[in-house]
Amino acid sequence: MDERSKQVAYKIMAIMYLLTILSMQAIVLYRQFALGQELRDFEDLAIIMTVNSLFLISALLYFGAISIRKLSIKSILLIYLLLVVLGSAFTYVKYNLVRSPGLSFMELFDKLIIVFAILGIMMFFFIMFSYLGKRRLDKEIED
Amino acid sequence: MEYLYYICHVENLKLKVARVEKSLSQQELADLCEVTRQTIGLIEKGKYNPTLNLCVKIAKVLDLTLNDLFWDENKK
Repeated sequence: MDERSKQVAYKIMAIMYLLTILSMQAIVLYRQFALGQELRDFEDLAIIMTVNSLFLISALLYFGAISIRKLSIKSILLIYLLLVVLGSAFTYVKYNLVRSPGLSFMELFDKLIIVFAILGIMMFFFIMFSYLGKRRLDKEIED
Repeated sequence: MEYLYYICHVENLKLKVARVEKSLSQQELADLCEVTRQTIGLIEKGKYNPTLNLCVKIAKVLDLTLNDLFWDENKK
């Protein structure tokens, strides 16, 4: 395979990958909101998508596809807060607006704790891989 | 910027002329550079931007410099 064929193949693979992930996302949303299925009914899909997204973004950061900037603690916290707000809003809409009757405050709080924890783990992963990727690139440049 | 537009979108006549002067077909040049004939064809048509490595390979095979093949003095 020469460089042009590789480039074309990678482009097509990336587009097909994106379409697959988007289709899976659409299926998960359809099952949740249109069919009213519980998480256990599509747990396999949810796990594949979560792990996939986590590793995709981590790999993009590690191999330098996403430019690694020096982020201050304040910016990191702001990004985390933004994700928490979005995640909480989605959880609230999912359990209290779409479904009737909705969850009680304590039940909703239990769900939100999981959202906060998962987002925290994701942020930790991304920061760790950004740092490792930056170190790897710096080392490659030095060598 | 104008130059970049030029190398990206305009036929690379210099490469074509250099290849013909060396009496090489697209297939022969492609074999010497270890790429496909289509890649050489697309570079000549200005529809594919080769990597620097491939530019150097082509220049070496044709005994020319990168400037001879890919630089246009008339454009800034």
